[in-house]
Amino acid sequence: MAAGLVAYSDVASDRLPAVVGGVGTAGGALMAFALATRWRTVFPFGIALVGASYAVFVAVRNGAVDGRAPAVAAALFAAAELGYWSLERSPSRSEGAVVLRRVAGLVGAAAVTALLGSLVLLLATGASGGVGLEAAGVAAAVISVAVIARLASRASV
Amino acid sequence: MTPKLGAYAGLAAVALFAALATRRPELVVVAAPFALVAALGLLLARRPSIDAEVELGVERTIEGDEVDVRLTLVADVGAERVEALLQLPRQLVVLGGDNPLQLRLADGERRELRYRLQCARWGAFRVGHVYLRTHDWFGFFQRELVVDRRVPLKVYPSEENVRNLLQPLETQVFAGNHVARQKGEGIEFADLRPFVPGDRIRHVNWRASARRGELWINEHHAERNADVVILLDSFAEARRGDRSTLDPALRAAGTLAARYLRQKDRVGFVTFGGILNWLLPTTGAVQLYRIVDAMLDTQIVLSYAWRDVVTVPRRTLPPQALVLALTPLLDDRSESALLDLRGRGFDLVVIEISPLSLLPRPTGDAGDLADRLLRLRREAVRGRFERAGIPVAVWGDETSLAAALEEVSAYRRRARAASV
Repeated sequence: MAAGLVAYSDVASDRLPAVVGGVGTAGGALMAFALATRWRTVFPFGIALVGASYAVFVAVRNGAVDGRAPAVAAALFAAAELGYWSLERSPSRSEGAVVLRRVAGLVGAAAVTALLGSLVLLLATGASGGVGLEAAGVAAAVISVAVIARLASRASV
Repeated sequence: MTPKLGAYAGLAAVALFAALATRRPELVVVAAPFALVAALGLLLARRPSIDAEVELGVERTIEGDEVDVRLTLVADVGAERVEALLQLPRQLVVLGGDNPLQLRLADGERRELRYRLQCARWGAFRVGHVYLRTHDWFGFFQRELVVDRRVPLKVYPSEENVRNLLQPLETQVFAGNHVARQKGEGIEFADLRPFVPGDRIRHVNWRASARRGELWINEHHAERNADVVILLDSFAEARRGDRSTLDPALRAAGTLAARYLRQKDRVGFVTFGGILNWLLPTTGAVQLYRIVDAMLDTQIVLSYAWRDVVTVPRRTLPPQALVLALTPLLDDRSESALLDLRGRGFDLVVIEISPLSLLPRPTGDAGDLADRLLRLRREAVRGRFERAGIPVAVWGDETSLAAALEEVSAYRRRARAASV
């Protein structure tokens, strides 16, 4: 899934394809290494590098918004979830219902990601821009991170 | 909290700030699922409350048998994924049921997990240490609980196949199944004698009386019980992996105790070693349980203290008792104590639990020499016992306990014939 994502970024890139491909390949290799060695700490850096290759692709891209971004987001999220699932070091056999619910949850989350992403893109392309919107974006980003940090500190259970 | 939460929050933050820096909405879309899942996971986080109960199908069983175990999980506050592990001693092998198992427990749900265990080795165990590990929907929070609901399980050693028991040289005064040398009430014919007033008519031997022209009486051997003391040498053992000389010794002790008690003999049990344990000889099924329970507590305790039979309480070794010593002949103290017992006039039989099959195969000249020396030393010990009139039967992988007992019986028959 991650490899497909890197391949898409590289093929669709009209500028700096070597950088996009290089960053993506490094990310994919890091993910594979983390999965092979069961090194949980390294795995998110692989995801981040794969995401970074897409970020480079969209950053240097000429023209309109990439319409496939919701699919890319869903694929990246699914790859991350599946990777973490693989990294679980549990000798337990899972009941069928547990596996089924987990797979259904993953598919559902990927679908919701794609839907929400489409909505965000629709809103973004419809907006006219300006300093106010820019400030709102910065505020939203900061608030998002702050909310997550606050919740994380509260949830020290 | 797992590192996954930090990773998702970090990925979301980096993607959001990259979106701001590059002014690309696509990166907001990429950040969105990570941010949303992290926020949802934090909002929905809660502490699960799960209890466990453990129930065994039986409390006592025999080595090699199977036992059913029921583990009941009760969730006041459930969890999306619960890993349940019933900790078991390695002597109990899971034949049926998944251990550990990952399952889902909803709020207020009660689940029963069933296991079938095989008791691979004897021992007194406590089963019911339950380890629970819960995970939330998103895998951000992981909690571990340990529930201690241990219940005792006693696994008795399996019985050896023994056909004939050793007959004690002397019997006691109570009724039993042994034909005594003394004459009295019984079935076994002993002798003929002339009638004297007071004899019962049913004891008259009419054929002998007709031939001799006067009344002659059949005399019988009395049927009495005997005192048997099983002496287990626990000074030392030879062990290789799961196999040890203590296991066959305990199996033999259990078998002999059960068989002698079945024929109304009084049976006592002495563990003679680093720790001294004893049970006074008595009869009945309760005594068998006492002996087996004492056997389960038996272990080899390393000790350098010199012990001799004086340390054994006198009432544990009644006069004229048959003493069956089960020993691997690995410790000088047990050898000395057994010779001392014989010197005190006890009817002593040594069943040697051979440790040779547990020894590593000798390698090199030095190994061969050591092996030969060990065998010679053991031969010398056996020779000392035989010179003292103690029959020694070797019980190893090649022979059965029944064969070893037959060997002793044959020795005792020959010894008696020689002494006549």
